Amino acid sequence: MQALSLGHGSGEDLADRGARSPDPLPRLRRVVAPNDRAPLVRVDGVSRAYGPIVAVDRLSLAVARGELHALLGRNGAGKTTLLRILAGLVTPTGGVAYVGSLDVARHSREARALVGVVPSGDRSFYLRLSALENLVFFGRLQGLRKRAARGRAHSVLAEVGLAGESERPMATYSHGMQKRVSVARAFLRNPEILLVDEATHDLDPEAATVVRALVRRAADQGAAVLWATQRVEEVRGFADRVTLLDQGSARFSGTVSELLARAGARRFVVSLAANGTGRILQRDVLDRALGAVGRVVPLEGDGTYLLSLADGVSLGDALGGLLASGVQILNCRRERPEVEDAFLAIVGSQGSTGE
Amino acid sequence: MSSQAWGSAATALGEVAKLPAFVRRDLLVALSYRTAFVGDLLGLLSQAILFYFVGKMVNDDEVPSYGGEPTSYLAFAAIGVAVGVFLQFALTRVAAALRQEQLQGTLESMLSTPTAPGTIQVGLVIFDLLYVPVRTVVFLGLMTAAFDLGFEASGVVPAVLVLLALTPFVWGLGVLGAAAILVFRKGAGIAALIGGLVALASGAYVPIDVLPGWVATVAEWNPIAVALDGMRSSLLAGADWGATVDDLARIVPFSIIALVIGLVGFRVALRHERVRGTLGIY
Repeated sequence: MQALSLGHGSGEDLADRGARSPDPLPRLRRVVAPNDRAPLVRVDGVSRAYGPIVAVDRLSLAVARGELHALLGRNGAGKTTLLRILAGLVTPTGGVAYVGSLDVARHSREARALVGVVPSGDRSFYLRLSALENLVFFGRLQGLRKRAARGRAHSVLAEVGLAGESERPMATYSHGMQKRVSVARAFLRNPEILLVDEATHDLDPEAATVVRALVRRAADQGAAVLWATQRVEEVRGFADRVTLLDQGSARFSGTVSELLARAGARRFVVSLAANGTGRILQRDVLDRALGAVGRVVPLEGDGTYLLSLADGVSLGDALGGLLASGVQILNCRRERPEVEDAFLAIVGSQGSTGE
Repeated sequence: MSSQAWGSAATALGEVAKLPAFVRRDLLVALSYRTAFVGDLLGLLSQAILFYFVGKMVNDDEVPSYGGEPTSYLAFAAIGVAVGVFLQFALTRVAAALRQEQLQGTLESMLSTPTAPGTIQVGLVIFDLLYVPVRTVVFLGLMTAAFDLGFEASGVVPAVLVLLALTPFVWGLGVLGAAAILVFRKGAGIAALIGGLVALASGAYVPIDVLPGWVATVAEWNPIAVALDGMRSSLLAGADWGATVDDLARIVPFSIIALVIGLVGFRVALRHERVRGTLGIY
């Protein structure tokens, strides 16, 4: 796979792009200054209601150049609605959403020129046409001349690893391939801002890794990325900052490390055996060893238990108690990933409305 | 010219430059359905044969004469059918194309690009606007070759001019139908209703004289009836530029009004859907 060359972050890049492909919206150069420290995406108290249902409720956030900002939340949390507002597809009922310095509701068309969108659905292409023809068409709609659109389409298809498949009708593509074309389409104009909606929720792990790597690299090259996901484990090692949405409101906003600090996990899966003999231990033996620091529940009858800690007790206290009682600890891991623990600690485990 | 005016002109040119992309897209899609493409042309042929036999049942004396010469029902109906098909396409295609984009999920993808709503409206149907006149000419050519309809060559240019003047009128109504699709999802019925009423009072298939008196009165102001009569006069009796200019003067105001209403209606519908937040719902 070739290296991405999205060309963010320098005045020379913008000027060069402008020279190669006359920009139908020349004012944009004043909208996004290359080295501007101001956030590229800013959401100020945005709300969106559908009748009595409030999908987004007085939400505020900012995404800087080069930042990959995850919007984490369950189905119906308001992630897609927020992205649609920023893409100019939905008008907010309150507050203001900016891309660059443009109010999206008032300057929708100019704002859309700054944004690349990867929609969540799998139906956004002409399936009778090849990926190349699809991208040439959407490149033209994004303002590229015919030759530039074709060249750029070839380039981005190579970047997402589909150069050899570009002439096939998209109806013959796998779901993962279509998603990669969707990402390629978002890259066509080297957008300053990427809005990515649930890009990996139905992809196999390998395809999801490819898509995440492409988007991460775009952020590293200067794009501001808003990545909506309900896969809580996805943000670790990937996103720079996280906003956790629940029922349209931000319940947490900060770095991934700050989110993990909220994990407060109290349950662990442990594999235990009698020291020396290796035989499986009875629950009452283990309860006596733990005393007041915790309790265990057998899981499979094979020496695996769910260890729950009492309030104020550390994992070390519990394991120390077991070791002191002659229990051998073969394995110990969190019941859930830390991010998931943090997510549940913040939003709880109740359901939410549909989006 | 000020820099702002240059900017606006560049933006407008940029939008116009996007239209060939729509033509190429729809041509490629049409060619990917080869059977349907060929079937459409065969359908034209079967229509011609059907009207030949219908013409055998109709007394030519009942058909209006043009230029003092008796007119066959077949020649009369051939022009009506050709224009009628043109009208049906123009009236329903904008709405149908928009509906198709909604259903295949590409409407939002288009609306996510910095493309003006007007460009999308034109782009949705520009292939048909180019293809349907060709189809109409092919139909009339087939009819002429097969049945010797006696069309006057001098009348072709005035007839085409009248058809071109009528196009914005029909297209404006079609765009209004598309606006209905945006808001009501299945607005094609509304477009079909408008199309049916307009076609009935146009004399496309039967002489206006045989219609009830009030319909005949409406037809006097119906731009489609004016256009049809003008095209029949030109093709059957030869060019009469004075009459053509008179026809154009009666059609063009209606075309401008219909087009403005259609474009404004579509823009309002689009804004309404953005505010309502239901653009992607089908």
